[in-house]
Amino acid sequence: MSFLQALLTNEYYIHLVILICIYALLAQSFNLTFGLGKSFNLAHIASYAIGAYTTAILAVDQSRSPLPCMFWSLVLSGVFALTIAIIAIRLSEDYFAIGTLAFSALITALLVNWKSLTRGVLGIPGIPRPEFSFFESQTFYDNFNFLGLAATVLIVVELLLLGIFSSPYARALRAQAEFEQGALAIGHNARVLRTISFVLASAIAGLAGSLFAYYINYIDPSSFSLTEMVFIITIVVLGRPGSFWGVNGAAAFLVLLPEPLRQFDLPPSILGPMRQLIYALILFGVVFLNRNKLWPRLRRI
Amino acid sequence: MNPTFLQISDLEFSIGEASILNGISCQVPRGETVGIIGPNGSGKTTLFNCISGFNLPSRGRIIFDATDITAVSPHTRALHGLGRVFQNSGVFRELSVEENMLTALESRDSLIRKFFPARSHRAQRRQLAREFLSEINLDAKSSHKAGSLSGGQLRLLEIVRTLAFGAEVFLLDEPTAGVSPRMKEDVAGLIAKLQQRGKTILVIEHDINFIQKFCQRILVLDGGRVVMDGPPDTVRSDRRLQEIYFGNKTQSES
Repeated sequence: MSFLQALLTNEYYIHLVILICIYALLAQSFNLTFGLGKSFNLAHIASYAIGAYTTAILAVDQSRSPLPCMFWSLVLSGVFALTIAIIAIRLSEDYFAIGTLAFSALITALLVNWKSLTRGVLGIPGIPRPEFSFFESQTFYDNFNFLGLAATVLIVVELLLLGIFSSPYARALRAQAEFEQGALAIGHNARVLRTISFVLASAIAGLAGSLFAYYINYIDPSSFSLTEMVFIITIVVLGRPGSFWGVNGAAAFLVLLPEPLRQFDLPPSILGPMRQLIYALILFGVVFLNRNKLWPRLRRI
Repeated sequence: MNPTFLQISDLEFSIGEASILNGISCQVPRGETVGIIGPNGSGKTTLFNCISGFNLPSRGRIIFDATDITAVSPHTRALHGLGRVFQNSGVFRELSVEENMLTALESRDSLIRKFFPARSHRAQRRQLAREFLSEINLDAKSSHKAGSLSGGQLRLLEIVRTLAFGAEVFLLDEPTAGVSPRMKEDVAGLIAKLQQRGKTILVIEHDINFIQKFCQRILVLDGGRVVMDGPPDTVRSDRRLQEIYFGNKTQSES
């Protein structure tokens, strides 16, 4: 217990646990679409960006309170996924991945170029930490308290997802992922099942984006690049797609993995690329070892 | 009331220039078992794909249980009672044997129930799944991954899954392909059980000796057309069958 206390009184450790919460939210929601549904939605990071920017713009420009900000982050990201789904759900496998990649690029272009709304590459500074009127004694300016908020959001979302992962819905989603016609033949509406998984996952990513904006206080388009997407994919692939606890474990492991490197007093210009290199090698290694298992073999009728 | 359960009229289907089905018509009354034979490329599977909605015919109509389903989506047709058993097995190999049954039993549930199943529902479904699995002696393997089953067991599981889902018409695409001779008897036994329950069955097979035992009628397809339609004995003794299967066309051409 004293160990835990020591851990959580250290500002830097608190920072790491908050990051784990945010990445666990991102990875677990990606796990819903990719792990269970085998849909490679590369616009997941765009949902995260939409959530973060929604909160930043509402909180900074409109001075809205946190609950509406988080709510709209969740809703707009969900609506974004619904739009993608309506257009891209007809595409299968690889085509779907490329289609969603296009949406991701579109959002990045908007973030950089729609300057009147997003302030372009300069980003949005000064996002205030959330204050809830019913928590008068606590301000979330304190990182320890913010950790409480992030952990609460994570626990609520994970309990919801834990229920979903063992539900008849998840079974049907896994079935249609393996053999769509087979699922249609027993009456499952595969497109509706997939659309729901996108909207749910995207809404959760939007919520993660909201937390991220509140936590970091400053966002710019570089936080939502494809590199981040690769990190999320690495978490899910390492944790085993479809495995609820595996992905949670992998999120914690991969966020903490580069930490020992800090002991070597390396300059940031080496530390940053080194992290990317480690993640890339892990992703490659795990994909290579599971090359026959990541996607189901295609069946013809 | 409605003697024709499944009515196919003048069905045409083509991929680009190649026409696969050239005006297929047939009527199947409720409870009948129809065998469909024909050489490779004669359009048997395409006919099934048109009936179950995976291929949209360029012409013709399909009427099932007095409803025109020609343009209806595959899953809606399935919910109407059209069951399809695939040639390359439609069993979900990554799911357990029991889960294959459960997902079939659950597909008619409302979306809310799919997320939040009632507790009593769950137990009831598992019980039902176990009963169906015991019919094909797979209840002991219910927690195994379906991918670990043999070819014959996969067939049996898929047929029983389609039955559990509530199909009235069974489209069986080569149910004995790649199945051991002993298991072939089990598949025949299961088809007999479907017949006892009054199900309508269309079955594609190459082995006429196998299907003549339980089919009331056999359709012979060739070149996307129905070239023969009659009781097994009549079709078997017809000289044209030999010509289609063995390409002995010299006599008919003269």
